Amino acid sequence: MTMRTFAYAQPESLADVIAALGAAPSRDAVRPLAGGTDLLTLMKGDIVAPDRLLDLKRLTGLDDTVEIRDNELVLGALTTLTAIETGSLVGEHCPALAKAASLAATPQLRNRATLGGNLLQRPRCWYFREHLIPCWLKGGDACPAREGENGLHALFADSPCVAVHPSDLATVLLAMDATVTVRGDAGERAIAAGDFFVQPDEGRRRENTLGGDEVVLSVAIPLIPGRTSAYHKAMDRKAWAFALVSAACSFRLDGGVMRDVRVVLGGVAPIPWRSTAAEAALDGERPGADVFARAAAAALAGAEPLRHNGYKVHLARNLVIEALEEVTRA
Amino acid sequence: MSTWQVERQEGEDGEVTLSVAEGTPLSPWDAGAALRIVGTPRTRLEGVEKVTGSAQYAYDVRLAGQLYAGILRSPHPHARLTRVDTTAAAALPGVHAVISLADAPDIDWYDDSKLFDPTLRFAGDEVAAVAAEDEDIVADALRLVVAEYEPLPFAIDIVAALAPGATPIHEGGNVESEKTYERGDVEAGLRAADVTFDRVLTTQTAIHHSLEPHGCTVAWEGEGVTVWESTQSIFDVRQQVAEKLGLGESQVRVIKQHMGGGFGSKQIVWKQTVIAALLAKRSGRPVQLMLDREGESLAVGNRNPTRQRLRLGATADGTLTAIDVTIHQAIGAHSAGGEGSNTAGLYQTLYACPNVRTSQTGVYTNTGPAVAFRAPGYVEAAFALETGMDDLARQLGMDPLALRLTNYTGDDQSKEMPFSQPDGLRACYEKATVAFGWGETIEQPAESHRRRGVGIAAHHWVGGAGDPPGYAWVKLNPDGRADIITGTQDIGTGTRTGLAMVAAEELGFTLDQVTFHLGDTALGPYAPVSSGSATMATIGPAIRAAAAEAKAELLAAAAAFLEEPVERLSVRDGLIRVAGEPEDRATPVAAVTGSMSPHMIQTQGARGGNPEDVSIQTFGVQCAEVEVDTRTGEVTILRVVAAHDCGRIINPTTVDSQVIGGVTQGIGFALTEERVVDAATGIVLNANLEEYKVPTVSDIPGIQNVHVGIPDLKANPTGSKGIGEPPLIPTAPAIANAVFDAVGVRFYDLPLSRSRVVDALAARERQGMPA
Ligand SMILES: Cc1cc2nc3c(=O)[nH]c(=O)nc-3n(C[C@H](O)[C@H](O)[C@H](O)COP(=O)(O)OP(=O)(O)OC[C@H]3O[C@@H](n4cnc5c(N)ncnc54)[C@H](O)[C@@H]3O)c2cc1C
Ligand code: SF4
Repeated sequence: MTMRTFAYAQPESLADVIAALGAAPSRDAVRPLAGGTDLLTLMKGDIVAPDRLLDLKRLTGLDDTVEIRDNELVLGALTTLTAIETGSLVGEHCPALAKAASLAATPQLRNRATLGGNLLQRPRCWYFREHLIPCWLKGGDACPAREGENGLHALFADSPCVAVHPSDLATVLLAMDATVTVRGDAGERAIAAGDFFVQPDEGRRRENTLGGDEVVLSVAIPLIPGRTSAYHKAMDRKAWAFALVSAACSFRLDGGVMRDVRVVLGGVAPIPWRSTAAEAALDGERPGADVFARAAAAALAGAEPLRHNGYKVHLARNLVIEALEEVTRA
Repeated sequence: MSTWQVERQEGEDGEVTLSVAEGTPLSPWDAGAALRIVGTPRTRLEGVEKVTGSAQYAYDVRLAGQLYAGILRSPHPHARLTRVDTTAAAALPGVHAVISLADAPDIDWYDDSKLFDPTLRFAGDEVAAVAAEDEDIVADALRLVVAEYEPLPFAIDIVAALAPGATPIHEGGNVESEKTYERGDVEAGLRAADVTFDRVLTTQTAIHHSLEPHGCTVAWEGEGVTVWESTQSIFDVRQQVAEKLGLGESQVRVIKQHMGGGFGSKQIVWKQTVIAALLAKRSGRPVQLMLDREGESLAVGNRNPTRQRLRLGATADGTLTAIDVTIHQAIGAHSAGGEGSNTAGLYQTLYACPNVRTSQTGVYTNTGPAVAFRAPGYVEAAFALETGMDDLARQLGMDPLALRLTNYTGDDQSKEMPFSQPDGLRACYEKATVAFGWGETIEQPAESHRRRGVGIAAHHWVGGAGDPPGYAWVKLNPDGRADIITGTQDIGTGTRTGLAMVAAEELGFTLDQVTFHLGDTALGPYAPVSSGSATMATIGPAIRAAAAEAKAELLAAAAAFLEEPVERLSVRDGLIRVAGEPEDRATPVAAVTGSMSPHMIQTQGARGGNPEDVSIQTFGVQCAEVEVDTRTGEVTILRVVAAHDCGRIINPTTVDSQVIGGVTQGIGFALTEERVVDAATGIVLNANLEEYKVPTVSDIPGIQNVHVGIPDLKANPTGSKGIGEPPLIPTAPAIANAVFDAVGVRFYDLPLSRSRVVDALAARERQGMPA
């Protein structure tokens, strides 16, 4: 399909962008444009129809660099997935994030797609992406996926929407206790990833808490000595597919027992899904098959499968075990 | 010289038709023929054009003043179009023509429908179309079309369409066709069986998804029209466009030089071609109408989904006693025509069995019309039959290969005559299994959750024989080069190259002394649709015939030129040689052809009829090795070995390409490809290449094509048969059987998607079976 007419602007400063966003009549009327790999797709699909796009790529004040600052790995919002996949700092300090990037989309897309856009991309739910079908997340009354073709949908949804969060990177970032730094009219704030991604509700039909006037500046991952991480992703085919289910796990060994454990699932909820129950089952234990199985079971304990996605329970459980095994080996 | 006989036939309605028998007698290239070009691997003649981007596809046509067009499609699977108003669309600046039910000429389409019909029968059905100066304006204009619908009850699958009280999609109800076949007594056969198989198996709707979408550019000149079309049949487009627009065939010229695939979906003429012609007429400008991916997914064909209840019986030694199958296939909203989907065919013919019953019912559904898709019906049947055979072998404790050989036949039992090549399939079994190492123990990975297995499947295919009519012209130019002119088309398979090789071989020329022309109804002689894997076998003999005649005339001319008796002369590598004379005294062809300039040697060859006492079929066998991760349900294809009997192999390179491409499509069909329709709205949810998952290069293992290459001398004088469709047929069952071998789980439904495999493995784990 072809897009509707829109205006394109290249603002010079971040302040201009923030001002323009703040003045926009609605969130969809004016959109920041990064790589465009999601935004333009939505526009071509007639899911959103902004009047104006503000290109972020040539701004001063928004980075595509990766650096270590104050014991944190800091990635600029414009960092491409290719840079995350291949960059040496990410590879050294957060290989799970590099792997998540490498498993996302295709090389062409990764060259273009940015980290900021990746965290803010909209769900791939095929009802959402079909302009002929109204759905709750798009402002409609009901969610057709609940009773429809929901094999790709959520096991855990505390929301009228049962779409899953599509980002591979977000799942890993949650497991790394990352924070997202944003700036808006009211200035800059750092948001824990767990507070950045929030399930959509009546008052906010979106998957995150970014303000309408805010721009994502960067993402920071604290460097915890001895902590290792792993990311496992199940797809319908070997490449070029969103996660059916994925698992990001991390911990450090302290005297042989696991500490700072994180277990996060992708593809099972409208946001990256952290399981504190699984983490509790692991904390203070020695790594091993039994405890991994217990943790995996705990991670899926409250799952509420829909008609076609029961397979995700089994799959998620085993991906958690695989990811924990890999962290242990690392 | 060609023979030409005409016979008058009068039908019951008094209509007179003339049946023509013709052909140029040729001696076959027998097994011992010393061929210098045919059989040697050659890269495509048009390869450079393609990789440098100069090859012209349908999209690439740019004419002065050309407009672009698009189609508004029904959002409802079944509805009455109560109002359509294109006034606002027509008024948009840049719009030059619109068409809809409101103002379209009354043109019949499908069996009982119209080009623009007030009843819309699938989500994607054509409602209106617009031609404008660019594609953005087209999209804006389509949004301005006001269409009001009265939704009707609908049925999107076989079960819903056949349910009591289901809404009739056509006047006669939802059964489109019923075909039955019977030999022997299947019930008695089943009673005599020691082991039986009785299951319902299903196959999914698959979309062709040619890389190049359907589409055309149309330009009128006076009362005549030229159509550049991405099609498998330029002459069928010519005939159909003429018929629909009330023109004579000679007023329509159709051109197609290069094509990015059709796989059957471009073997008929779809509505957009005639819509484009009407828009071009109305606007007085050339109009290009290419479908987008959504249109490709919805409105120009698909592989019909099937539901097959299969019963098999065999005695303890593996002899089949009965094959009984009841097939339902959803043909979508209309019967679109073209090559039929004969799912029953494989059951009737592949194995020796005295008791066979098949029943095949075509069912209308409110989904896009199905159309032939690379070996239509046989791909669907092979999954079911070859799954059943594998199961019988397991029950009998027999090697699946041995079971198949036990039931080998060299006869076409449904036609009650021998195959033209009774040992073709046997050679495939032998070549494939030897190259694969069938029967050897496979190595299992150290991790117990990664299990490997092997599977085998066989097939025959009703296509590949070719048929008359089909013609070729040869022109020997003064410079000693030959123009080979046909009205066939290269649908991306390498037809040009293969046919040029046949011409060069027969002429005794080198390949670069031959220039091949095709793809233009105005400039070449008639050739039929490129479907049924027929093009090589149809046009190859016509080319040989024309070339043989040209060579005879050339040698006669050379005899005069050299003052030598013609019996002493021959042509090889483009040089005329005199028997007994040293090689270096050979005369270039150009010396002879140049000396008679401007006179030229120009000949025609015609495809003769096929033999009536044998059944020409193609055969194949594939073996697959897979690995299944029992924890994650991931299926990895490790290798596929294929052996296909396509008679003499003209060009091994392009035959390998066909096999690799077919197996690749087969892997998609086996594992990931499936059209998904929302039951509540009838809307296709994955009308794109994002959610409709074709395999990527990472999903495809090494594919080895073992050449069988036995000339089928009874089939036609080139000994060659088609290879286009067959390589897709046995892939999915070979993979499913390998998955069973690996993990002991049998799948009766395609595709073996990740969710299905995980579900099955999880269910088995719950039953306490070992992982
Ligand atoms: C075919 C395909 C396959 C894909 N597969 C995967 C996959 O497997 N895994 C995966 O994780 N992702 C996948 N993606 C998604 C892809 O990674 C995202 O589309 C991409 O990362 C988005 O980045 P972008 O720069 O292109 O964002 P854009 O499309 O430019 O923007 C996306 C959204 O974010 C907003 N935005 C962008 N940057 C900022 C900023 N700094 N501040 C505020 N707002 C901003 C835009 O306004 C827009 O709303 C796939 C995408 C496609 C098209
Ligand atoms: S799951 Fe969410 S996005 Fe999908 S249809 Fe329901 S509300 Fe819409």
